Amino acid sequence: MELMLVQQVLGKGGRPMEELTEDSILESLKCVIDPELNVNIVDLGLIYGVAIEGRNVEVTLTMTTRGCPMHTAICGGVEQTLNANPDIHTVKVDLVWEPPWKPEMMSDAAKERLGFF
Amino acid sequence: MSRLPFRFIFAGLAGFILFQLFTLVTFAGWLGDVPRSPSGWFHVHLLVLGWATMIAMGAVYQLISVVLQGSIYSERLGYVHFWSFLVGLIGLLVGFYSGQTACIAGFATLTFIGILLFIWNLAVTLMRAKQWNPITACVACSLAYLLFTGVVGMTMGLNFTFSFAGVWHERLFGTHIWLGTIGWFGLLIVGMSFKLLPMFYLSHGYPERLQYAIFTIWNLGVLIGATSFLCESGVLWKACGFSFITAAALIYNIHIVQIYHKRHKKTPGAGVWWATLSAYWLTALGIVLCVLLVLTPQSVFQEKTIVLVGWAYLWGWVALTILGYLSKIAPFLWWTFKYGPLVGKQKVPSMADLINDRYVGIGMAAIAVCLLILMAGIGGDWLAVARIGGSAMALCSLAYILLIARVFRR
Repeated sequence: MELMLVQQVLGKGGRPMEELTEDSILESLKCVIDPELNVNIVDLGLIYGVAIEGRNVEVTLTMTTRGCPMHTAICGGVEQTLNANPDIHTVKVDLVWEPPWKPEMMSDAAKERLGFF
Repeated sequence: MSRLPFRFIFAGLAGFILFQLFTLVTFAGWLGDVPRSPSGWFHVHLLVLGWATMIAMGAVYQLISVVLQGSIYSERLGYVHFWSFLVGLIGLLVGFYSGQTACIAGFATLTFIGILLFIWNLAVTLMRAKQWNPITACVACSLAYLLFTGVVGMTMGLNFTFSFAGVWHERLFGTHIWLGTIGWFGLLIVGMSFKLLPMFYLSHGYPERLQYAIFTIWNLGVLIGATSFLCESGVLWKACGFSFITAAALIYNIHIVQIYHKRHKKTPGAGVWWATLSAYWLTALGIVLCVLLVLTPQSVFQEKTIVLVGWAYLWGWVALTILGYLSKIAPFLWWTFKYGPLVGKQKVPSMADLINDRYVGIGMAAIAVCLLILMAGIGGDWLAVARIGGSAMALCSLAYILLIARVFRR
Protein backbone atom coordinates (compact mmCIF):
# COMPACT_ATOMS: atom_id res chain seq x y z
CA MET A 1 0.00 0.00 0.00
CA GLU A 2 2.76 2.39 0.97
CA LEU A 3 4.72 1.45 -2.12
CA MET A 4 1.69 2.25 -4.32
CA LEU A 5 1.32 5.63 -2.69
CA VAL A 6 4.99 6.36 -3.21
CA GLN A 7 4.70 5.32 -6.89
CA GLN A 8 1.68 7.56 -7.38
CA VAL A 9 3.66 10.54 -6.14
CA LEU A 10 7.07 9.73 -7.57
CA GLY A 11 6.36 7.79 -10.76
CA LYS A 12 8.23 4.72 -12.10
CA GLY A 13 11.72 6.19 -11.95
CA GLY A 14 11.40 7.40 -8.36
CA ARG A 15 11.55 11.07 -9.42
CA PRO A 16 8.79 13.68 -8.91
CA MET A 17 6.06 13.26 -11.51
CA GLU A 18 5.12 15.82 -14.12
CA GLU A 19 1.51 16.53 -14.92
CA LEU A 20 0.13 14.49 -17.81
CA THR A 21 -1.85 16.46 -20.34
CA GLU A 22 -3.34 15.59 -23.71
CA ASP A 23 -0.89 17.97 -25.35
CA SER A 24 2.13 16.36 -23.72
CA ILE A 25 0.93 12.89 -24.74
CA LEU A 26 0.31 14.03 -28.33
CA GLU A 27 3.71 15.69 -28.46
CA SER A 28 5.41 12.47 -27.39
CA LEU A 29 3.43 10.46 -29.97
CA LYS A 30 4.87 12.59 -32.76
CA CYS A 31 7.85 10.26 -32.75
CA VAL A 32 5.66 7.46 -34.11
CA ILE A 33 5.89 7.71 -37.89
CA ASP A 34 3.73 6.05 -40.53
CA PRO A 35 6.59 4.33 -42.40
CA GLU A 36 4.84 4.39 -45.78
CA LEU A 37 3.86 8.07 -45.73
CA ASN A 38 6.81 9.19 -43.58
CA VAL A 39 4.54 11.51 -41.56
CA ASN A 40 3.94 11.23 -37.82
CA ILE A 41 0.62 9.76 -36.70
CA VAL A 42 -0.45 12.91 -34.83
CA ASP A 43 -0.13 15.14 -37.89
CA LEU A 44 -1.81 12.46 -39.97
CA GLY A 45 -4.84 12.83 -37.71
CA LEU A 46 -4.82 9.17 -36.70
CA ILE A 47 -5.24 9.91 -32.98
CA TYR A 48 -8.95 10.14 -32.21
CA GLY A 49 -8.64 10.67 -28.49
CA VAL A 50 -6.43 10.65 -25.41
CA ALA A 51 -8.05 9.85 -22.07
CA ILE A 52 -6.01 10.45 -18.92
CA GLU A 53 -7.12 9.07 -15.59
CA GLY A 54 -4.53 9.69 -12.91
CA ARG A 55 -1.42 8.01 -14.28
CA ASN A 56 -3.29 5.77 -16.70
CA VAL A 57 -3.53 6.72 -20.37
CA GLU A 58 -5.88 5.40 -23.00
CA VAL A 59 -5.26 6.31 -26.66
CA THR A 60 -7.91 5.81 -29.32
CA LEU A 61 -6.55 5.77 -32.85
CA THR A 62 -7.29 4.67 -36.38
CA MET A 63 -5.39 3.97 -39.61
CA THR A 64 -5.51 5.69 -42.99
CA THR A 65 -7.21 2.69 -44.54
CA ARG A 66 -9.34 -0.10 -43.09
CA GLY A 67 -7.16 -3.10 -42.30
CA CYS A 68 -3.97 -1.09 -42.85
CA PRO A 69 -1.09 -3.59 -42.62
CA MET A 70 0.88 -1.17 -40.44
CA HIS A 71 -1.56 -1.28 -37.54
CA THR A 72 0.44 -3.73 -35.41
CA ALA A 73 3.63 -1.70 -35.73
CA ILE A 74 1.91 1.65 -35.15
CA CYS A 75 -0.18 0.49 -32.17
CA GLY A 76 2.93 -1.17 -30.71
CA GLY A 77 4.87 2.04 -31.29
CA VAL A 78 2.27 4.09 -29.41
CA GLU A 79 2.31 1.65 -26.52
CA GLN A 80 6.11 1.53 -26.32
CA THR A 81 6.49 5.30 -26.59
CA LEU A 82 4.10 5.91 -23.72
CA ASN A 83 5.45 3.03 -21.63
CA ALA A 84 8.85 4.68 -21.84
CA ASN A 85 7.42 7.70 -20.01
CA PRO A 86 8.13 7.16 -16.27
CA ASP A 87 5.11 9.27 -15.32
CA ILE A 88 2.68 6.85 -16.96
CA HIS A 89 1.64 3.70 -15.13
CA THR A 90 -0.58 1.93 -17.63
CA VAL A 91 -1.20 2.37 -21.34
CA LYS A 92 -4.17 1.15 -23.32
CA VAL A 93 -4.37 1.47 -27.10
CA ASP A 94 -7.74 1.17 -28.82
CA LEU A 95 -7.72 0.73 -32.59
CA VAL A 96 -11.04 1.78 -34.11
CA TRP A 97 -12.30 1.92 -37.70
CA GLU A 98 -15.31 4.16 -37.07
CA PRO A 99 -15.49 6.93 -37.99
CA PRO A 100 -13.23 6.17 -40.95
CA TRP A 101 -10.17 8.36 -41.34
CA LYS A 102 -10.45 11.16 -43.89
CA PRO A 103 -7.61 13.11 -45.52
CA GLU A 104 -9.15 16.31 -44.14
CA MET A 105 -8.12 15.12 -40.67
CA MET A 106 -4.46 15.75 -41.49
CA SER A 107 -2.69 18.81 -40.13
CA ASP A 108 -1.49 21.46 -42.56
CA ALA A 109 2.07 20.25 -42.05
CA ALA A 110 1.12 16.70 -43.10
CA LYS A 111 -0.86 17.95 -46.08
CA GLU A 112 2.07 20.00 -47.23
CA ARG A 113 4.46 17.10 -46.83
CA LEU A 114 2.29 14.79 -48.92
CA GLY A 115 1.50 17.46 -51.49
CA PHE A 116 -2.19 17.28 -50.52
CA PHE A 117 -4.55 17.71 -53.46
CA MET B 1 4.82 -11.45 -38.03
CA SER B 2 4.48 -14.59 -40.15
CA ARG B 3 7.59 -15.72 -42.02
CA LEU B 4 5.51 -17.67 -44.54
CA PRO B 5 5.30 -14.90 -47.20
CA PHE B 6 9.11 -14.51 -47.01
CA ARG B 7 9.59 -18.15 -48.09
CA PHE B 8 7.57 -17.59 -51.24
CA ILE B 9 9.13 -14.21 -51.98
CA PHE B 10 12.67 -15.56 -51.58
CA ALA B 11 11.91 -18.68 -53.66
CA GLY B 12 10.29 -16.45 -56.29
CA LEU B 13 13.31 -14.15 -56.42
CA ALA B 14 15.56 -17.23 -56.83
CA GLY B 15 13.33 -18.50 -59.65
CA PHE B 16 13.50 -15.13 -61.37
CA ILE B 17 17.30 -14.93 -61.06
CA LEU B 18 17.59 -18.48 -62.42
CA PHE B 19 15.39 -17.61 -65.40
CA GLN B 20 17.49 -14.56 -66.25
CA LEU B 21 20.75 -16.48 -65.82
CA PHE B 22 19.58 -19.26 -68.17
CA THR B 23 18.65 -16.56 -70.69
CA LEU B 24 21.95 -14.71 -70.32
CA VAL B 25 24.17 -17.79 -70.49
CA THR B 26 22.60 -18.85 -73.81
CA PHE B 27 22.43 -15.26 -75.11
CA ALA B 28 18.64 -15.70 -75.17
CA GLY B 29 19.10 -18.63 -77.55
CA TRP B 30 15.87 -20.27 -76.35
CA LEU B 31 13.92 -17.50 -78.09
CA GLY B 32 14.81 -19.14 -81.40
CA ASP B 33 13.45 -22.54 -80.29
CA VAL B 34 9.98 -23.78 -81.18
CA PRO B 35 7.71 -22.53 -78.31
CA ARG B 36 6.19 -25.97 -77.77
CA SER B 37 9.42 -27.77 -77.04
CA PRO B 38 11.10 -28.95 -73.83
CA SER B 39 13.17 -25.75 -73.81
CA GLY B 40 10.07 -23.55 -74.27
CA TRP B 41 8.12 -25.42 -71.56
CA PHE B 42 11.07 -25.19 -69.19
CA HIS B 43 11.56 -21.44 -69.59
CA VAL B 44 7.87 -20.54 -69.54
CA HIS B 45 7.16 -22.64 -66.42
CA LEU B 46 10.24 -21.37 -64.66
CA LEU B 47 8.93 -17.85 -65.18
CA VAL B 48 5.20 -18.32 -64.58
CA LEU B 49 5.39 -20.90 -61.76
CA GLY B 50 8.91 -20.41 -60.37
CA TRP B 51 8.61 -16.65 -60.24
CA ALA B 52 5.21 -15.09 -60.92
CA THR B 53 3.03 -17.70 -59.17
CA MET B 54 5.51 -18.09 -56.31
CA ILE B 55 5.52 -14.31 -55.68
CA ALA B 56 1.74 -14.15 -56.15
CA MET B 57 1.20 -16.88 -53.55
CA GLY B 58 3.45 -15.10 -51.04
CA ALA B 59 1.69 -11.81 -51.70
CA VAL B 60 -1.73 -13.44 -51.25
CA TYR B 61 -0.69 -14.96 -47.89
CA GLN B 62 0.43 -11.52 -46.80
CA LEU B 63 -2.35 -9.39 -48.27
CA ILE B 64 -5.33 -11.60 -47.51
CA SER B 65 -4.89 -10.85 -43.81
CA VAL B 66 -4.87 -7.14 -44.68
CA VAL B 67 -8.01 -7.44 -46.76
CA LEU B 68 -9.88 -9.59 -44.23
CA GLN B 69 -8.30 -8.10 -41.11
CA GLY B 70 -7.69 -11.60 -39.83
CA SER B 71 -5.17 -14.40 -40.12
CA ILE B 72 -5.15 -17.25 -42.63
CA TYR B 73 -6.81 -20.57 -41.76
CA SER B 74 -3.61 -22.55 -41.21
CA GLU B 75 -0.05 -21.31 -41.38
CA ARG B 76 1.25 -24.87 -40.99
CA LEU B 77 -0.69 -25.88 -44.09
CA GLY B 78 0.99 -22.92 -45.81
CA TYR B 79 4.43 -24.39 -45.09
CA VAL B 80 3.37 -27.85 -46.36
CA HIS B 81 2.04 -26.11 -49.45
CA PHE B 82 5.35 -24.29 -49.91
CA TRP B 83 7.51 -27.40 -49.80
CA SER B 84 5.16 -29.50 -51.91
CA PHE B 85 4.96 -26.79 -54.55
CA LEU B 86 8.69 -26.04 -54.52
CA VAL B 87 9.89 -29.67 -54.71
CA GLY B 88 7.22 -30.51 -57.29
CA LEU B 89 8.18 -27.51 -59.40
CA ILE B 90 11.91 -28.29 -59.31
CA GLY B 91 11.17 -31.87 -60.47
CA LEU B 92 8.76 -30.61 -63.11
CA LEU B 93 11.36 -28.20 -64.48
CA VAL B 94 13.98 -30.96 -64.56
CA GLY B 95 11.43 -33.10 -66.41
CA PHE B 96 10.78 -30.36 -68.96
CA TYR B 97 14.47 -29.63 -69.44
CA SER B 98 15.38 -33.27 -70.00
CA GLY B 99 12.15 -34.19 -71.76
CA GLN B 100 11.45 -37.09 -69.37
CA THR B 101 7.69 -37.60 -69.48
CA ALA B 102 7.53 -39.79 -66.35
CA CYS B 103 9.34 -37.08 -64.40
CA ILE B 104 6.93 -34.45 -65.74
CA ALA B 105 3.87 -36.52 -64.77
CA GLY B 106 5.18 -37.40 -61.29
CA PHE B 107 6.30 -33.97 -60.25
CA ALA B 108 3.34 -32.24 -61.90
CA THR B 109 1.24 -34.21 -59.39
CA LEU B 110 3.30 -32.97 -56.46
CA THR B 111 3.12 -29.38 -57.76
CA PHE B 112 -0.62 -29.79 -58.16
CA ILE B 113 -0.95 -31.04 -54.57
CA GLY B 114 0.82 -27.86 -53.46
CA ILE B 115 -1.66 -25.78 -55.47
CA LEU B 116 -4.57 -27.73 -53.94
CA LEU B 117 -3.29 -27.04 -50.42
CA PHE B 118 -2.96 -23.34 -51.24
CA ILE B 119 -6.50 -23.18 -52.59
CA TRP B 120 -7.87 -25.13 -49.61
CA ASN B 121 -6.14 -22.83 -47.14
CA LEU B 122 -7.40 -19.69 -48.85
CA ALA B 123 -10.87 -21.05 -49.53
CA VAL B 124 -11.44 -21.84 -45.84
CA THR B 125 -10.01 -18.44 -44.87
CA LEU B 126 -12.36 -16.63 -47.24
CA MET B 127 -15.43 -18.74 -46.27
CA ARG B 128 -14.83 -18.12 -42.58
CA ALA B 129 -14.36 -14.39 -43.02
CA LYS B 130 -17.62 -14.03 -45.01
CA GLN B 131 -16.54 -10.62 -46.28
CA TRP B 132 -17.60 -10.61 -49.88
CA ASN B 133 -16.66 -7.61 -51.97
CA PRO B 134 -15.01 -7.18 -55.40
CA ILE B 135 -11.55 -7.77 -53.89
CA THR B 136 -12.35 -11.05 -52.13
CA ALA B 137 -14.53 -12.18 -55.05
CA CYS B 138 -11.67 -11.57 -57.51
CA VAL B 139 -9.25 -13.52 -55.29
CA ALA B 140 -11.75 -16.39 -54.90
CA CYS B 141 -12.36 -16.62 -58.67
CA SER B 142 -8.67 -16.38 -59.50
CA LEU B 143 -8.08 -19.29 -57.12
CA ALA B 144 -10.79 -21.28 -58.92
CA TYR B 145 -9.06 -20.57 -62.24
CA LEU B 146 -5.72 -21.61 -60.76
CA LEU B 147 -7.36 -24.88 -59.73
CA PHE B 148 -8.68 -25.49 -63.25
CA THR B 149 -5.33 -24.48 -64.75
CA GLY B 150 -3.69 -27.06 -62.50
CA VAL B 151 -6.25 -29.77 -63.34
CA VAL B 152 -5.82 -29.19 -67.07
CA GLY B 153 -2.03 -28.94 -66.81
CA MET B 154 -1.81 -32.13 -64.78
CA THR B 155 -4.06 -33.93 -67.23
CA MET B 156 -1.69 -32.94 -70.01
CA GLY B 157 1.27 -34.05 -67.89
CA LEU B 158 -0.32 -37.46 -67.32
CA ASN B 159 -1.19 -37.65 -71.02
CA PHE B 160 2.52 -37.37 -71.84
CA THR B 161 3.02 -40.67 -70.03
CA PHE B 162 -0.24 -42.57 -70.56
CA SER B 163 -1.47 -41.07 -73.87
CA PHE B 164 -5.21 -41.15 -73.27
CA ALA B 165 -6.35 -37.64 -74.28
CA GLY B 166 -6.00 -37.95 -78.06
CA VAL B 167 -7.22 -34.82 -79.87
CA TRP B 168 -8.25 -33.31 -76.53
CA HIS B 169 -4.62 -32.53 -75.74
CA GLU B 170 -4.68 -29.55 -78.12
CA ARG B 171 -7.91 -28.25 -76.64
CA LEU B 172 -6.56 -28.65 -73.12
CA PHE B 173 -3.41 -26.78 -74.12
CA GLY B 174 -5.29 -23.64 -75.17
CA THR B 175 -7.55 -23.82 -72.12
CA HIS B 176 -4.55 -24.27 -69.81
CA ILE B 177 -2.86 -21.12 -71.14
CA TRP B 178 -6.05 -19.04 -71.13
CA LEU B 179 -7.09 -19.99 -67.60
CA GLY B 180 -3.59 -19.54 -66.19
CA THR B 181 -2.77 -16.20 -67.78
CA ILE B 182 -6.13 -14.44 -68.03
CA GLY B 183 -7.98 -16.21 -65.20
CA TRP B 184 -5.42 -16.72 -62.45
CA PHE B 185 -2.91 -13.92 -63.00
CA GLY B 186 -5.34 -11.46 -64.54
CA LEU B 187 -8.09 -11.56 -61.96
CA LEU B 188 -5.66 -11.77 -59.04
CA ILE B 189 -3.76 -8.68 -60.15
CA VAL B 190 -6.98 -6.74 -60.80
CA GLY B 191 -8.52 -7.74 -57.45
CA MET B 192 -5.39 -6.99 -55.45
CA SER B 193 -4.99 -3.66 -57.24
CA PHE B 194 -8.44 -2.64 -55.97
CA LYS B 195 -6.86 -2.68 -52.50
CA LEU B 196 -3.26 -1.76 -53.23
CA LEU B 197 -3.62 1.21 -55.59
CA PRO B 198 -5.75 3.32 -53.21
CA MET B 199 -3.28 2.49 -50.42
CA PHE B 200 -0.26 3.52 -52.48
CA TYR B 201 -1.99 6.68 -53.76
CA LEU B 202 -3.65 7.40 -50.39
CA SER B 203 -6.95 7.72 -52.26
CA HIS B 204 -10.20 8.30 -50.44
CA GLY B 205 -13.74 8.88 -51.60
CA TYR B 206 -13.39 7.31 -55.06
CA PRO B 207 -16.43 5.46 -56.47
CA GLU B 208 -16.23 1.67 -56.20
CA ARG B 209 -19.11 0.71 -58.49
CA LEU B 210 -16.86 -0.02 -61.48
CA GLN B 211 -15.14 -2.76 -59.50
CA TYR B 212 -18.31 -4.85 -59.77
CA ALA B 213 -18.47 -4.31 -63.54
CA ILE B 214 -14.79 -5.23 -63.96
CA PHE B 215 -15.26 -8.38 -61.88
CA THR B 216 -18.31 -9.51 -63.87
CA ILE B 217 -17.00 -8.73 -67.36
CA TRP B 218 -13.53 -10.17 -66.69
CA ASN B 219 -15.07 -13.42 -65.45
CA LEU B 220 -17.35 -13.61 -68.49
CA GLY B 221 -14.30 -13.14 -70.71
CA VAL B 222 -12.39 -15.90 -68.89
CA LEU B 223 -15.30 -18.34 -69.09
CA ILE B 224 -16.14 -17.63 -72.74
CA GLY B 225 -12.49 -17.85 -73.77
CA ALA B 226 -11.87 -21.08 -71.84
CA THR B 227 -15.03 -22.66 -73.25
CA SER B 228 -14.05 -21.65 -76.79
CA PHE B 229 -10.68 -23.37 -76.42
CA LEU B 230 -12.12 -26.45 -74.73
CA CYS B 231 -14.93 -26.91 -77.27
CA GLU B 232 -12.72 -25.83 -80.17
CA SER B 233 -15.29 -23.19 -81.09
CA GLY B 234 -14.75 -20.90 -84.04
CA VAL B 235 -13.00 -17.55 -84.14
CA LEU B 236 -16.18 -15.72 -83.16
CA TRP B 237 -16.26 -17.20 -79.64
CA LYS B 238 -12.58 -16.58 -79.11
CA ALA B 239 -13.02 -13.00 -80.35
CA CYS B 240 -15.90 -12.67 -77.90
CA GLY B 241 -13.64 -13.78 -75.03
CA PHE B 242 -10.90 -11.33 -76.08
CA SER B 243 -13.44 -8.51 -76.41
CA PHE B 244 -14.82 -9.07 -72.90
CA ILE B 245 -11.32 -9.03 -71.40
CA THR B 246 -10.48 -5.87 -73.36
CA ALA B 247 -13.69 -4.20 -72.19
CA ALA B 248 -12.93 -5.18 -68.57
CA ALA B 249 -9.37 -3.86 -68.94
CA LEU B 250 -10.70 -0.59 -70.32
CA ILE B 251 -13.06 -0.15 -67.36
CA TYR B 252 -10.19 -1.12 -65.06
CA ASN B 253 -8.17 1.74 -66.58
CA ILE B 254 -11.08 4.14 -65.98
CA HIS B 255 -11.22 2.96 -62.37
CA ILE B 256 -7.49 3.59 -61.98
CA VAL B 257 -8.09 7.15 -63.22
CA GLN B 258 -10.86 7.51 -60.60
CA ILE B 259 -8.46 6.36 -57.89
CA TYR B 260 -5.77 8.70 -59.24
CA HIS B 261 -8.09 11.72 -59.17
CA LYS B 262 -8.90 11.10 -55.50
CA ARG B 263 -5.28 10.67 -54.47
CA HIS B 264 -3.79 12.61 -51.57
CA LYS B 265 -0.20 11.78 -52.23
CA LYS B 266 1.85 13.29 -55.02
CA THR B 267 3.45 10.08 -56.19
CA PRO B 268 2.92 6.44 -55.23
CA GLY B 269 6.52 5.57 -56.15
CA ALA B 270 8.10 4.67 -59.48
CA GLY B 271 7.24 0.96 -59.25
CA VAL B 272 3.53 1.60 -58.80
CA TRP B 273 3.62 4.25 -61.54
CA TRP B 274 5.02 1.67 -63.98
CA ALA B 275 2.51 -0.95 -62.83
CA THR B 276 -0.26 1.55 -63.59
CA LEU B 277 1.24 2.34 -66.98
CA SER B 278 1.35 -1.37 -67.79
CA ALA B 279 -2.41 -1.55 -67.16
CA TYR B 280 -2.91 0.98 -69.97
CA TRP B 281 -0.60 -1.12 -72.12
CA LEU B 282 -2.88 -4.11 -71.44
CA THR B 283 -5.89 -2.23 -72.77
CA ALA B 284 -3.96 -1.06 -75.83
CA LEU B 285 -2.91 -4.66 -76.49
CA GLY B 286 -6.53 -5.83 -76.16
CA ILE B 287 -7.78 -3.16 -78.58
CA VAL B 288 -5.11 -4.04 -81.16
CA LEU B 289 -6.06 -7.73 -80.89
CA CYS B 290 -9.77 -6.94 -81.28
CA VAL B 291 -9.07 -4.87 -84.39
CA LEU B 292 -6.92 -7.69 -85.82
CA LEU B 293 -9.67 -10.20 -85.06
CA VAL B 294 -12.07 -8.13 -87.14
CA LEU B 295 -9.69 -7.42 -90.03
CA THR B 296 -7.57 -10.59 -90.27
CA PRO B 297 -8.86 -13.15 -87.77
CA GLN B 298 -6.54 -15.95 -88.88
CA SER B 299 -3.41 -13.86 -88.31
CA VAL B 300 -4.19 -13.67 -84.58
CA PHE B 301 -3.87 -17.43 -84.18
CA GLN B 302 -0.55 -17.76 -85.98
CA GLU B 303 2.30 -18.96 -83.83
CA LYS B 304 4.29 -15.73 -84.17
CA THR B 305 1.35 -13.57 -83.09
CA ILE B 306 0.60 -15.84 -80.13
CA VAL B 307 4.25 -15.63 -79.01
CA LEU B 308 4.20 -11.83 -79.40
CA VAL B 309 0.94 -11.51 -77.47
CA GLY B 310 2.37 -13.82 -74.82
CA TRP B 311 5.38 -11.54 -74.33
CA ALA B 312 3.25 -8.40 -74.43
CA TYR B 313 0.79 -9.76 -71.85
CA LEU B 314 3.06 -11.76 -69.54
CA TRP B 315 5.96 -9.31 -69.51
CA GLY B 316 4.25 -6.11 -70.55
CA TRP B 317 1.52 -6.38 -67.93
CA VAL B 318 1.84 -9.32 -65.50
CA ALA B 319 5.61 -9.10 -64.95
CA LEU B 320 5.82 -5.30 -64.92
CA THR B 321 2.95 -5.15 -62.41
CA ILE B 322 4.53 -7.75 -60.13
CA LEU B 323 7.97 -6.11 -60.41
CA GLY B 324 6.46 -2.69 -59.73
CA TYR B 325 4.44 -3.86 -56.73
CA LEU B 326 7.49 -5.77 -55.43
CA SER B 327 9.25 -2.43 -54.96
CA LYS B 328 6.56 -1.71 -52.34
CA ILE B 329 5.81 -5.19 -50.99
CA ALA B 330 9.45 -6.12 -50.27
CA PRO B 331 10.19 -2.97 -48.19
CA PHE B 332 6.85 -3.38 -46.42
CA LEU B 333 7.53 -7.02 -45.46
CA TRP B 334 11.07 -6.28 -44.31
CA TRP B 335 10.21 -3.09 -42.47
CA THR B 336 7.34 -4.79 -40.61
CA PHE B 337 9.55 -7.75 -39.73
CA LYS B 338 12.73 -5.92 -38.72
CA TYR B 339 11.70 -2.41 -37.69
CA GLY B 340 8.04 -2.79 -36.73
CA PRO B 341 8.82 -4.03 -33.18
CA LEU B 342 11.30 -1.15 -32.67
CA VAL B 343 8.83 1.71 -33.26
CA GLY B 344 8.67 3.85 -30.15
CA LYS B 345 11.90 2.35 -28.81
CA GLN B 346 14.37 3.88 -31.23
CA LYS B 347 14.48 5.88 -34.44
CA VAL B 348 13.60 3.63 -37.35
CA PRO B 349 13.94 4.25 -41.09
CA SER B 350 10.92 4.82 -43.29
CA MET B 351 10.11 2.33 -46.03
CA ALA B 352 11.36 4.79 -48.63
CA ASP B 353 14.79 4.58 -46.96
CA LEU B 354 14.97 0.86 -47.74
CA ILE B 355 14.95 1.20 -51.52
CA ASN B 356 16.09 3.90 -53.93
CA ASP B 357 12.98 4.92 -55.86
CA ARG B 358 15.03 6.55 -58.61
CA TYR B 359 16.76 3.25 -59.37
CA VAL B 360 13.37 1.50 -59.32
CA GLY B 361 12.17 3.89 -62.03
CA ILE B 362 15.32 3.45 -64.11
CA GLY B 363 15.13 -0.36 -63.77
CA MET B 364 11.48 -0.54 -64.79
CA ALA B 365 12.05 1.79 -67.76
CA ALA B 366 15.05 -0.24 -68.92
CA ILE B 367 13.07 -3.51 -68.75
CA ALA B 368 10.19 -1.94 -70.70
CA VAL B 369 12.53 -0.63 -73.45
CA CYS B 370 14.27 -4.04 -73.74
CA LEU B 371 10.86 -5.72 -74.01
CA LEU B 372 9.98 -3.46 -76.93
CA ILE B 373 13.28 -4.35 -78.66
CA LEU B 374 12.64 -8.05 -78.05
CA MET B 375 9.11 -7.80 -79.45
CA ALA B 376 10.33 -5.86 -82.47
CA GLY B 377 12.86 -8.64 -83.09
CA ILE B 378 10.19 -11.35 -82.89
CA GLY B 379 7.69 -9.34 -84.94
CA GLY B 380 10.20 -8.53 -87.67
CA ASP B 381 11.70 -12.06 -87.71
CA TRP B 382 15.05 -10.56 -86.74
CA LEU B 383 16.35 -13.23 -84.41
CA ALA B 384 19.55 -11.33 -83.62
CA VAL B 385 17.55 -8.28 -82.48
CA ALA B 386 15.24 -10.49 -80.42
CA ARG B 387 18.24 -12.15 -78.76
CA ILE B 388 19.92 -8.80 -78.05
CA GLY B 389 16.64 -7.49 -76.60
CA GLY B 390 16.10 -10.70 -74.59
CA SER B 391 19.64 -10.70 -73.20
CA ALA B 392 19.53 -6.99 -72.35
CA MET B 393 16.18 -7.52 -70.65
CA ALA B 394 17.62 -10.40 -68.64
CA LEU B 395 20.51 -8.19 -67.56
CA CYS B 396 18.24 -5.28 -66.58
CA SER B 397 15.85 -7.65 -64.80
CA LEU B 398 18.74 -9.15 -62.84
CA ALA B 399 19.93 -5.70 -61.78
CA TYR B 400 16.39 -4.73 -60.80
CA ILE B 401 15.71 -7.87 -58.79
CA LEU B 402 19.04 -7.47 -56.98
CA LEU B 403 17.88 -3.95 -56.07
CA ILE B 404 14.75 -5.53 -54.58
CA ALA B 405 16.77 -8.28 -52.85
CA ARG B 406 19.03 -5.63 -51.25
CA VAL B 407 16.04 -4.45 -49.24
CA PHE B 408 16.38 -7.60 -47.12
CA ARG B 409 19.89 -6.61 -46.08
CA ARG B 410 18.94 -3.14 -44.87
